[in-house]
Order: sequence, then structure tokens, then C-alpha cells
Amino acid sequence: MKKFRLYYDKDREQDWLQKMSSEGWALKKFFLGVYTFVPCKPGEYIYQIDLLENWDGDKEDFAAFMEDSGVEVVSQWYRWVFLRKKAEDGPFEMYTDVESKINQYNRIKNFFLAALILEIGCFFIEINAALQTNRPLFWIFAILIGIVAIAFLRIVWRCQWKIEQLQRGK
Amino acid sequence: MDNNLPLTEAIFYILLAVRKPNHGYGIIQEVSEITGGRVVLGPGTLYGAINSLLSKKWIMLYSEDVASRKKKEYLITKEGIEVFLKEVKRLEELVRNAKLMEGLA
Repeated sequence: MKKFRLYYDKDREQDWLQKMSSEGWALKKFFLGVYTFVPCKPGEYIYQIDLLENWDGDKEDFAAFMEDSGVEVVSQWYRWVFLRKKAEDGPFEMYTDVESKINQYNRIKNFFLAALILEIGCFFIEINAALQTNRPLFWIFAILIGIVAIAFLRIVWRCQWKIEQLQRGK
Repeated sequence: MDNNLPLTEAIFYILLAVRKPNHGYGIIQEVSEITGGRVVLGPGTLYGAINSLLSKKWIMLYSEDVASRKKKEYLITKEGIEVFLKEVKRLEELVRNAKLMEGLA
């Protein structure tokens, strides 16, 4: 079964994967918002989502480390990884202390902050093109890019909020 | 070196678990055992901590079993031991001073 979703928030995405697993659907693959599920025993797996630090170097090392720790790397897309563990093997949480949780949200925040800056750049290029040529197509592009930029801004803001919550609770 | 202190609980117990060569899963298990299940390190937390400890040279890569599987073992370094012992001194001071509270409970 395939489902298309766009998530702002990896915690909500994780909750959704959890809900799917409890209904007997295990994530098998993720690509560009398309989630591929295969049947599993209801509640068989616990899922976690992570963002790697580096573009490549890390990937192999990270995957080997996780497999050694009894964690299955289900799908990797770009710097994003989907991990799971059988629920019968006990609780599964990637990050168990405040410091490493904050680090993770910082990685996600910086990732989308970079994307946001790129989008803002594109937005002004489109606006400029629209003003110069006065073709409606450029206005449509500008609006679409603007919407994406707002979505990214929201993610950055959410991460910041979570970091502050964690720091306050420390 | 002192601004490295205090150590986080995770770092403290990871250093302890690599006093002898130990691999990722072994570290998680040992820490859980000696704390009676109170400190269970998440694999992401452990992965990040190991990389930061390696770059600080408090631990080193002890072996990489190429033959069977890529199971990396880590071992504490001299520097790591030094930091750990400093932290223990700091903790002992805390416990010593905590005795001032005696008799109030």
C-alpha cells in the first residue's frame, strides 16, 4: 500500500507510522513524500525518524552502528533515515537524554533553515522575473515558492519551540 | 580541561563501559545492567556521544572486526581516564558536602 503525505513535524510523522504499525501496516520505503507499507502483525514495530549530520560519509557508519545495536534501518532518503525495532524487544527511543534531543532538533532546524534561505532566494528571483516579463506563470511560481518557504519557516519555528521546551525542562 | 565538567550521565557511563574494549550494543547493555535499568542509552544518543568522544580523543577505536561483521570496539584513552577521574573527584566532593544536610530529614 502506498500513501502520500507531507509532514511538518517528524514527531507527528513518527506517531503516524506508529499508528500504521498498530493497524498492521509496516513502513518499508519512503521517497519524496510517498510512504510504502507492507502488512505486519499489529503493533509489531516501533518506528523512529532521524536526520544525519553529514551528506554522505556518515551513512554507512551510522547504518552499521544501528544494525549492531539491534536497530533496523528501514529506509534512507537523502539525510533522512527511518529506523525500527520489534516492539517485543522492549522500548525504542533514539535519543534518551535532553542534550542529544536538543542536538537532533538543532540538526533538523538547521537543515530547514538552509532550505528556507534557498527558497527565499528563489522567491525573489521569481518575483523579479514576474515584474520584468509580466507573465502570469512567474507569479504562480512565486506564490508556490512562497507557500513552501512559509512551510519551512513553520518547521524551523517548531524546532526552536521544542528546543526551548527541552531547555526549560532541563 | 575543566570546562568539560560536569560530564553528562550518558558520557559518564559510556566512559565507564569502555574501560575495557566494548562495542555499541555492549555499552548499552552494560550501562543498563549496572544502573539497574535506570539509564538505558538510546542508540542515537550513543552514536552521537561516541563520535564526540572520538573527536575529543577520550576514547579510541580499538578494533574493527572485518572478518565477521563491522562491529567496532572502543576503548578509553589516557585522556579519557583523566577526565573521568576528575569527574569522580567532583562527585565525591558533592557527596561529602551533602552530609551537611544530615539530621535535617
